Amino acid sequence: MGPVLAALLGTGCVESSELAPPGTLVVSQEQAASWTRNFNPLLPSGTARWAASACIYEPLLIFNTVTQEWVPRLAERFEWVEEGVRLAFKIREGVRWSDGTPFGVEDVLFTFSLIRDVNMLDGGNIWSFIESIEQRDDGWIEVKFQRPYVPGLAQVAHQLIVPKHVFEQVESPETFSNPNPVGTGPFTEILKFNQQVWDLGRNPYYWQAGKPAVEALRFPAFPDNDQANIALIRGEVDWAGNFVPAIDRIYVDRNPEHHHYWFPLISSTIFLYANTEREGLEQTLVRKALSHAIERARVTRVGMYDYTQAASPTGLSFGHKKWIHTELEDSSDWMTYRPEHAVELLEQAGLVQTEADGWVLPSGKAFELEITVPAGWSDWVRSSQVMVQGFRDIGLDVRLVTRDFGAWLHAVQHGEFDLAMGWSQSGVTPYEFFKGLMSTESVQPIGEMSGSNWHRFGSSDADALLTQFEATSDPEDQAAIMDELQGLFVQHAPAIPLFPGPAWGAFNSERFTGFPSEDNPYAVLSPNRPPESLLVLTELEPR
Amino acid sequence: MAGSRSPLRRLLQGIWQNKKARAGAILVGFFALVALVGPWLVGDPQSFDALPLSPPSADYWMGTTGQGQDVLAQTVHGSRQTLLVAVIAGLGVVLLGALIGGIAGFFGGWIDDVLGVITNIFLVMPGLPLMVILAAWLPPGPSTMVGVLVATGWAWNARVLRSKVLSLRKADFVQAAVIGGEPALSVLFREILPNMLSLLMTSFIGATIYAIGAQVGLEFIGLGDPSSVTWGTNLYWARNDSALLMGAWWTFVPAGLAIALVGFGLTLLNFGIDEVTNPRLRSEREWQQKLGVPAGHRPETVVVRHD
Amino acid sequence: MIGVLRYAFRRLGFYAIAAWGAITLNFFLPRMMPGDPASTLFGRFEGRMEPEALERLQDLLGYGDGSIFTQYVVYLKSLFQGELGTSIAYFPEPVFNVIRSGMAWTLLLAGTAVVIAFLLGSLLGALAAWNRGGKLDNWAPASFALLGAFPYFWMAMLASYVFAFQLEWFPIRHAYGANVEPGWTWSFFESVITHLFLPALTMVIASLAGWMLMMRSTMIQVLGEKSIRYARARGISERRVFLQYAVRNAILPSLTSFGMALGFVVSGALLTEIIFSYPGEGYLLIQAVQTQDYPLLQGLFLAITLSVLAANFFVDILTAVFDPRTR
Repeated sequence: MGPVLAALLGTGCVESSELAPPGTLVVSQEQAASWTRNFNPLLPSGTARWAASACIYEPLLIFNTVTQEWVPRLAERFEWVEEGVRLAFKIREGVRWSDGTPFGVEDVLFTFSLIRDVNMLDGGNIWSFIESIEQRDDGWIEVKFQRPYVPGLAQVAHQLIVPKHVFEQVESPETFSNPNPVGTGPFTEILKFNQQVWDLGRNPYYWQAGKPAVEALRFPAFPDNDQANIALIRGEVDWAGNFVPAIDRIYVDRNPEHHHYWFPLISSTIFLYANTEREGLEQTLVRKALSHAIERARVTRVGMYDYTQAASPTGLSFGHKKWIHTELEDSSDWMTYRPEHAVELLEQAGLVQTEADGWVLPSGKAFELEITVPAGWSDWVRSSQVMVQGFRDIGLDVRLVTRDFGAWLHAVQHGEFDLAMGWSQSGVTPYEFFKGLMSTESVQPIGEMSGSNWHRFGSSDADALLTQFEATSDPEDQAAIMDELQGLFVQHAPAIPLFPGPAWGAFNSERFTGFPSEDNPYAVLSPNRPPESLLVLTELEPR
Repeated sequence: MAGSRSPLRRLLQGIWQNKKARAGAILVGFFALVALVGPWLVGDPQSFDALPLSPPSADYWMGTTGQGQDVLAQTVHGSRQTLLVAVIAGLGVVLLGALIGGIAGFFGGWIDDVLGVITNIFLVMPGLPLMVILAAWLPPGPSTMVGVLVATGWAWNARVLRSKVLSLRKADFVQAAVIGGEPALSVLFREILPNMLSLLMTSFIGATIYAIGAQVGLEFIGLGDPSSVTWGTNLYWARNDSALLMGAWWTFVPAGLAIALVGFGLTLLNFGIDEVTNPRLRSEREWQQKLGVPAGHRPETVVVRHD
Repeated sequence: MIGVLRYAFRRLGFYAIAAWGAITLNFFLPRMMPGDPASTLFGRFEGRMEPEALERLQDLLGYGDGSIFTQYVVYLKSLFQGELGTSIAYFPEPVFNVIRSGMAWTLLLAGTAVVIAFLLGSLLGALAAWNRGGKLDNWAPASFALLGAFPYFWMAMLASYVFAFQLEWFPIRHAYGANVEPGWTWSFFESVITHLFLPALTMVIASLAGWMLMMRSTMIQVLGEKSIRYARARGISERRVFLQYAVRNAILPSLTSFGMALGFVVSGALLTEIIFSYPGEGYLLIQAVQTQDYPLLQGLFLAITLSVLAANFFVDILTAVFDPRTR
């Protein structure tokens, strides 16, 4: 009992002993029960540590969602040599890897050939549209596309570049955990690593002179949201990207001077997908009726703590605000809560409401639906509960089913569901978003896997527009095409938009300054969108 | 001893006369009543109409959850599924345990050996990991819950019931009856069964206590059906909404208190039954069983059957 | 000694069968679940991966080809080589590596709690029996019964909220401080004890009643035995009768339950770890379920079960050495 008592007497200083040393920024982004030492930036997201893609390795360019601009990194600039087909990057000079080796064009070429040879590492699916990548003699590289494909810029530019001299010696890069990373980013040196906490120090050779000002990053392992929030509230965390319920009350009010958050609605729109292969749901009228039966204000209040609002009728998230067709947005009303109108639309679609069986399809079958949601995704479960209430109010027989994440994913990807909540595709432009929602190319038969078009809706009009979009980098042409795609979306209602996703980000300015915020929006605050975090990490300064 | 009254009636009468058992029965009866009629007396537990996280007030006696649901309605509605699942699982545990234990004890020989090994395997396996992988594999819902609880809980009962049959066979009063010339069947029905009756009853109550605890625990860690209303999911949501961080103790206390009171009531009931049926033992040993203390804590488990 | 050895072999045989049962269950259960590890990992790419890559992944992670029987043989074979597969959530880390680090903490937590609960509970039980009808005897069982009726995790959460979050008497997470380097130093040791205290305490409180009541009842039986009466008649001091005659004899049956209790305690430790963010296997288990990391789930189940079986075996042998009646 001796040591126990001694320890008990020493507990007065528990809190201070948990605080990170001055100059060390505590980041809470990933949640894990235990850290594993994996810094291979080419592996699927969520596998390697967040830092691998957020501050150890860098891409050629970074797209800043807030300013909607490309920011140069390992490439100094880029240009289309031939629109949509030949893309050139001027590779930055004077950059060194964190072990002192000079960085150069050969590292870029090596990275692209590596992801060609090991397809699993090609997370951006780059080799599905590019043909070759070559060096020019003036420090430029040139990427040749298989077909005109302007949206491919984003994938190529965001590819994280790995050191040739390290990765060429790795036998199987797809299972390489890269425990001692060598990168070009601002933070590369692992100062300590254990299952509970690890520290990452500065890159001694970082190419931006005088940066970063932060000495080191610290990552404590928080197994779940509750634990991450406790640490945040107690001031142990400086920068966080996790969901915080009622944040004004539990975080900001505790220290209004230093506790801040910024949840811009720029993440992908959350949808209610209706499987168009199911009888009844193939009709636009029925899908629109469902949309009218959803009280979105209530969904966002109950499910999302009022952190978001009803989605735009065009489906576009506010991350794509500049693309939104405002006249169309103002004139379409298919997202308003009008239960009586929902009933009218169902009747127009040929459904009949009976005493005994509720709504009956024209074929005579009862119209019964299930909403499938991953178990444990509490915001979605709550949102669905509210929607189910709304559907029942107009007499629809809708049931909520929660399933294990894997089972849920399998069901939605294979088209084995009636209604399901789900995310949508994100990207620099809304191209990926509409491709996932309406292209015939992404439609698979029921029982076969489809990565994005879960609801199985394809339109040849959309295909034509998307192909046009692939071939132009002219902003006016692009905007015109996007307007037409939004028109198609509103007309057909292939899926039912609910709300744009917030980008969670909170910070504590007690020890560090320079975080982006609504008043100083130089980048996204949320650390959940690497590589954009690079833009923030190089700006922060200790107090 | 054996008057004109049936053993069951005698037992029930004895229980009511025992102070502890009566207190337990009243406590359990109260919650049974709540589960039966309560849901008609309170509002909709799934409506999100109230102001979230408001403390107990005249409108909402137990306050509201992080999503504006009525905690009182949730607690009352939650009692129904929680207790129903627990009782069914408790019955299942005792039936399966009695079946396997009975067969083992009755036939003896190699059947006993084989069943003994199987029972022991289930006994030494850590219960929670087994429950977790079973619950993760099956679709969430009450029937899954019952299945998981029965599958992980039967072994102890099988062992107790088997050893009870064996020990009763060797007991003095049974031996005396045999020597006294009573036919075997009569011995079984008049001597062994009345004694087994109380054991079956206490086993059932013990299994129900176990089923409540395990069920609530699994639901709490998210392996139940979070869209249903039970005491376990109420606690799951309370944690999910970080209710404690916001000081909203009222979302957390009612379900925990209800679980504890039902469990305590059942324990008292079990204790009382034992005092009534085993006056000589004064049932100290059985306390543990009623407490829902696991198999390992009980001395018989290891000593009974190692060869 | 020969008797002990023979007994040991018999027990070993039993545990081998139990282990085989667990291993087999472990093989079949995940194969009945929807999806396979490769598709789950594939799903994490959100559809940006070529379907051909799925086949590569399936080779890397999947259940492989062949009938379920050949798969079973391959599974057994790799298991004997210590090969537990590759984790999905922690890809490409082998399951073995993910599990390894947590095991020590789980065993430390469970071990500390079970030893303290056993010693303290037995002492209280013995004292209660010794002074039958005294205050301890009258009040302890009832209050422990009420305390034990609360869901265990509920008490742990309340304790964590009150003592760690509000009052800040104890650290709120982890097994040692973030600024302490693991090693054989006093500051590390102190940090470990401080972090262990509250989780272990809640576990002790939850399991104290069982040990106490068991000790109390065996003690009452022992006290009724002739040997005690003879000892007293011979004028041996009460203190010696209590310790050397009564407690010594009464504690043996408790000791035999020790191994069995371990399985229960490990289960309890898993829940504690979740609430106190203790870096053992408990949270890994839940995470494995949530991320559908079946290889990790299987590995954890196996590791926990096998260590409980091993502990049981150890306790069996120990009991057999001390108590010839059990052989």
